[in-house]
Amino acid sequence: MSTEGHRPHPSTKTSLIDHARSLDCIHCGLCLTTCPTYQLTGSETSSPRGRIHLMRAVAEDRLEPDAGFAEEMDFCLVCRHCESVCPAGVEFGAMMEFTRSSLREQQPPGPLARFARWVGFRRILPSRFGLKAAVLGLQLGQTLGLIRLAAPLLGLRGSVMRHLPKVPPRSERRPLPAVTPAQGEKRDRVLVLEGCVMPELFGRVNHAVARTLSATGLDVLSVPKHVCCGALHAHNGEMKDAEELARETIRRFDAVDPSARIVVDSAGCGAHMREYGRLLANDPEYAARAAAFGARVVDYSEELSLPAARARLRPLLRAGHGIEGPITWDDPCHLCHGQGVVDQPRQLLDLVPGLERREMTAANSCCGSAGIYSVLRPKDSLDVLAPKLEHLAKSGAKTLVTANPGCHQQWLVGIGREGMDVPVLHLAEVLDRAISAGE
Amino acid sequence: MPSLNRAQLRELTRIVGDRGVRSDAGARSAYESDGFMLERATPEVVVLPRTTEEAAAAVRILRDAGLVIVPRGAGTGLSGGARPIAGGAILGTARMRDVLEVNETDRYARVQAGVVNVHLTSACASAGLFYAPDPSSQTACTIGGNVGNNSGGPHGFRYGSTTRHVLGLTLVDSEGEITRIGGPFPDPRFGYDLLGPLVGSEGMLGLVTEVTVRLLPQPRCVETLLCLFEDLDACCDAVSEMIARRLEPSAIEILDRLTIEAVEASVLRAGYPSNAEAVLLIEVDGGADEVASTSEDLIAVATEFGAFDSRRTTDPVERKKLWTGRKGAFGAMGRIAPDLYVADVVAPRTRLREIVRVAAAACEERGLRLANVFHAGDGNLHPNISYDRRNADEVRRVLEAGEIIMQACVDAGGSLTGEHGVGVEKQKEMCMFFNDEDLDAMKALKSAFDPVGFWNPGKMIPVRGCREIHTKPLGDSVGVTP
Repeated sequence: MSTEGHRPHPSTKTSLIDHARSLDCIHCGLCLTTCPTYQLTGSETSSPRGRIHLMRAVAEDRLEPDAGFAEEMDFCLVCRHCESVCPAGVEFGAMMEFTRSSLREQQPPGPLARFARWVGFRRILPSRFGLKAAVLGLQLGQTLGLIRLAAPLLGLRGSVMRHLPKVPPRSERRPLPAVTPAQGEKRDRVLVLEGCVMPELFGRVNHAVARTLSATGLDVLSVPKHVCCGALHAHNGEMKDAEELARETIRRFDAVDPSARIVVDSAGCGAHMREYGRLLANDPEYAARAAAFGARVVDYSEELSLPAARARLRPLLRAGHGIEGPITWDDPCHLCHGQGVVDQPRQLLDLVPGLERREMTAANSCCGSAGIYSVLRPKDSLDVLAPKLEHLAKSGAKTLVTANPGCHQQWLVGIGREGMDVPVLHLAEVLDRAISAGE
Repeated sequence: MPSLNRAQLRELTRIVGDRGVRSDAGARSAYESDGFMLERATPEVVVLPRTTEEAAAAVRILRDAGLVIVPRGAGTGLSGGARPIAGGAILGTARMRDVLEVNETDRYARVQAGVVNVHLTSACASAGLFYAPDPSSQTACTIGGNVGNNSGGPHGFRYGSTTRHVLGLTLVDSEGEITRIGGPFPDPRFGYDLLGPLVGSEGMLGLVTEVTVRLLPQPRCVETLLCLFEDLDACCDAVSEMIARRLEPSAIEILDRLTIEAVEASVLRAGYPSNAEAVLLIEVDGGADEVASTSEDLIAVATEFGAFDSRRTTDPVERKKLWTGRKGAFGAMGRIAPDLYVADVVAPRTRLREIVRVAAAACEERGLRLANVFHAGDGNLHPNISYDRRNADEVRRVLEAGEIIMQACVDAGGSLTGEHGVGVEKQKEMCMFFNDEDLDAMKALKSAFDPVGFWNPGKMIPVRGCREIHTKPLGDSVGVTP
């Protein structure tokens, strides 16, 4: 039913679109209310059905792929909530990646935007050095008070930057050891993805992941020199870079262990890595290997929900963890919609003694982070977050738990701007503290 | 074709805000059809007000500009009612989505017209109340759209369609005047009951901006049954017998094998068995004893008519799954072909089996794929015919089959539409049912509300006289666009 692979053939405007996939949509409209931009605007054009309609109209030469078309494509957060409710199984995320990629090729952005993208996608994300330099810049800005000074000049972006969390101390940013050995009887070994931004801004989460996994009897292997999985590149239409990073990821991980499960603590990365098979379907050398690699990827919460892991984890968890309840779980889109992981994190949180968990309304709707969307479109991003902040306040939760660096950051900014007092934790941090409470 | 000048566009934007006016080609193109894909036409402008007052002000500007207005909710309708015939403005309620009041004591709710059906039900759930009409698109369709089409849904069998639940309306008319009709305390009524003609008026008498609806207490006990049959005919006959025996479930639905396969292949898979030719999905609600005994009686009838297995559940999670699957059936058919024609006809229950056979034969002769899913309790059939709109000949065959099915229902003493409305889809077929005098009476009612033909022109009432239509060949009045 769908065409394989991502790379469109440039030249005509009909090749902008994955036309075959667009035919899967039968126009029933069940996706409308799940869509954050339809919620925001009430405009059907800004809904999944509307965007598919636009794509199909362009592919069938009934509509010009003009600036308005490109804007509508960029307005989408690619949260993939629509996929979770689509009875026809439309692969909306894949269609959007295809369209964005061909738009970039056929209608390149202006020189300034091109330069910014080159710096971001080529020089920072895939390079540990670039990332460290960028984080150092942020840190300097924070300590010298430059951000505070410059914020009024930067408008909304400035206000967001002021509420970015402090760059953590160097001790939190050290990489994981090559092996974190299993505690007690060893059950198995797993690979973990440290990621690009995670070690710099959320290194403590990676360490909590390694500690908790090893506590349940796993040897936890890190992958030296690996930096970026390419998820942000793919979501933003930089498909060639995404493919190259996927190949590099596969090579580096397989060099450490070609068969162990790959545990990912960042939902956006996990969702993307699971789909390497589709990404590299047209690469004869890598297609089969990529599909096999994708099948080995599991989310952190899935790994710990395996019966053997749960059995080891449960007795380790103690009250006295100091986490203030009630807590609430906010589903990262690329975990619940991208990977279908909904129950596992909740069940794991419910294992922690002395911690009440409350459901927040619309926990599975987008927080507006959406990778670099919050940087590219700060106003839309915060507008999407606004109702979520209300739901958080109404839930009465004192701590918010999630599992994706982008969402984590977004919540910190939103909560900071509202002046609320609700810490944000990664699932692994909660479990790690509950384990340490017993030691 | 009339359109807005720059000053009028600016004035509209001032009233409804930047996000409330879309006039660029791409944005307008997304409004060229609703869930009925056989025909399309693009509006000149899309206006999305937030309040009744904004809507009224917008109406005055659009009227001055000489544009006709097509009211629209979420565009999930299946008869083409919420899209233009040619040009004009779409006046959408998608940003009017506030639940204004839930009165637990007097059991009513007042909502803006753009409130999504299921959101109303969740808004009153904590009070132990619910809003009964539950069309299959309820997770997206709006209360205003439900009013326009007098929507039903599976539970319409027991609770009736929208008209039985509307207590009051706020209407913006062609002068841009705001009129409130009815209200939460309607009894005793006096004067003419104007809610009657407005519910089901398909946006042809004005724009409904607020609705006051009746809320019902949630039943104490609900049980869902799934009876499996090897034969669709037997399944139809069982339904007829259940009703003849005075059994009163709240919903009785039939799904055939192709529908089951499509649903089970989708994210909404409900656990319907793959070894059945047809399943009966039944819901029973009420007090615990009543539910238990009715369920047993229903299963006994099913078994008598050849059901080879029957399952029952009161577990809310499992029940929800069974119903979500049913309600996603239309969308799930997207797995079979790019487009789907959802017919909506009514036949007397005792003749269900006969109509199903007519539909099957009509499709088979024309090489079309037919899936059946229907509100069997009401005799409301939805023969679903898959097609690809790019194939003009297939489109023609679909229309022919649809017409044969409609004619069979009318001949059997049934009706043209159960709940999807007439829209553009069934205009011509109105003449199977009504004569020119009947239609003149409808036109007179329309003129009383809308003397200049400002609201949703070209819908429901055939433009040409019936005598003329009857001399035209099949499928001719529906223009086919690739």
